[in-house]
Amino acid sequence: MIALRLPRFEWRWAALRNGLQDATAYRIEFFFEVLGAAVVPAAIQWLLWYAMFKLGGATSVAGMNYQDMVMYTLTSILFTQIRGGDHDFELSEMIRSGGLSNYLLRPAGVIEFVWLRGIAPKLFIAAFALVIGIGVGLFFGLSPIRMVGAMFLALIGNIIYYQFSASLASAAFYWEEAYSILMVKNMVVQLLSGELIPLNLIPESWSWVWKSTPFYLFVFGPTQYALGRWTHAEYFRQLGIGALWIIAMYGLIKLTWGLGTKRYLSLGG
Amino acid sequence: MNPVIEVKNVRRSFRSPKKKEGLAGAWKLLFSPEYQDHEALKGVSLSIEPGAFIGLIGANGAGKTTLLKILSGLIPPTSGEARVLGLEPFKRTLDFRRKISLVMGQKAQLWWDLPAVDAFDLIRAIYEIPVPLYKERLQTLSELLDVTKLLNTQIRRLSLGERMKMELIGALLHWPNVIFLDEPTIGLDVVAAQKLREFLREFNRREKATIILTSHNMEDIERLCSRVLILRAGELIYDGPPGKLTGDGVVELRVRLKETVEIAQLATLVGIPEASVRKAEAGGAEEEGDAALGVFHLSMAKERIVPSLQKLMSAYTVIDMGVSEQSLEGVIQKLFAEKP
Repeated sequence: MIALRLPRFEWRWAALRNGLQDATAYRIEFFFEVLGAAVVPAAIQWLLWYAMFKLGGATSVAGMNYQDMVMYTLTSILFTQIRGGDHDFELSEMIRSGGLSNYLLRPAGVIEFVWLRGIAPKLFIAAFALVIGIGVGLFFGLSPIRMVGAMFLALIGNIIYYQFSASLASAAFYWEEAYSILMVKNMVVQLLSGELIPLNLIPESWSWVWKSTPFYLFVFGPTQYALGRWTHAEYFRQLGIGALWIIAMYGLIKLTWGLGTKRYLSLGG
Repeated sequence: MNPVIEVKNVRRSFRSPKKKEGLAGAWKLLFSPEYQDHEALKGVSLSIEPGAFIGLIGANGAGKTTLLKILSGLIPPTSGEARVLGLEPFKRTLDFRRKISLVMGQKAQLWWDLPAVDAFDLIRAIYEIPVPLYKERLQTLSELLDVTKLLNTQIRRLSLGERMKMELIGALLHWPNVIFLDEPTIGLDVVAAQKLREFLREFNRREKATIILTSHNMEDIERLCSRVLILRAGELIYDGPPGKLTGDGVVELRVRLKETVEIAQLATLVGIPEASVRKAEAGGAEEEGDAALGVFHLSMAKERIVPSLQKLMSAYTVIDMGVSEQSLEGVIQKLFAEKP
């Protein structure tokens, strides 16, 4: 007889709770981290648009006027907070320092465990951002249903981002230090996710670059849908693409970590 | 009884980049790195029965931690075979991970910013421990280690000893069948180390868990372990009770003689093997300078002390003398000092 084993939900729920407790252990630090990460890039973008449209005299760039740009910037803040965290750096440091040993010997998958602890505060922020997004969105005539859908897509983006980052972090099994590669990844993702500028600003002849990565699903996609610039059909098509990326990245993690853990030396003890 | 741990001819080697000193060395490492191979374990074989409390000792770099890493499944052996609880450790099956525990004195597994009780709750969920049983175990362990009042304190606010105790609780909540302890008393004060030792002895006695302990503190080994494994440069050079190392009932007679005497003469006179006679070295830790002249250490059974002294006093002029038990630390020091 084949014994079917149900997924173990209890430790996953406990890891989520534990991650939230850990992230909020220092309340002031937590709020500053959230607000700082949201406000500073938005302020820089706003200054850029102000300089371009108000001081430079431009009326439209890539079909977007000043108001479109500001709306994009303000809406994208809701999703940049969900995009990801530094848990790939945590994984790489664990490999380098030998801290991974504790996790490898527990009856819980290390990649999923670290993700769950990392996503916990993001879920809290997502709920908070959603309430603000719906409230402010209603004032500007944005659909609450679209806002919920956009947040869901941003969460899908978080999963893909973490999967991709965790795969890159496995470079530490080979090179011991993967800090630089993760930093470069952060910069590329910031640009190609639409976090810094709307991806429409990238010339059409170069659009294949961002369209061939999953990064646009992290911020640009949710923002477009929330602002009503994507149809529902397009949204569901993009959700399907996101699901395919998750499957592909799952395979990549299995491969990179399967090979990597064979080389693990558990140094530092 | 089937052994709980079986190791057959296990070898493990590591390859690491070799850096020459200075900027030139750094430059060379960047563009043309050289590597060196190091064999940490050289064909180790052993077998351990369930419920045993084993002391694994050796000098730095002798291969203790490497052996623990292989047995706990963190790294595979380069060759040979290791089995723990009938399973191949490096496969790290769910069943295996549920039954073992590894505590490394130098690696924290609890979360720094959270109180221990939150970390323990997560561990409870990971190991699927029923809540009433978890509460019972937590109470037992925290009382045994005397940390009940500290369970709600942030880990980073605890002292080193208190943190180590919390680490142990975290490692034992799932009641593992096999526990690997890598220097658990490192950095602890005398009282904390003693508490920890009492706790480990009690846990081993009560739960019949197999415990393998590495430590540089011979007191840990002497007080806890019924069997000692000694590694030297990756080879197992001793496997037996600690009493056999120090020689049960064997004492050391220290005499300072006025005359110049050869070791062989003394051994013949007293009737013990030459290997049991040692001359103190000048400038060594035992005797300083001229004080070392004519000082001999003779290992023998307690009952032979008086007749041996009578023989020595009749043949030579004994300036002073003393009798001491052989310490495990002393024996181990000698073993470590010997070339492989």
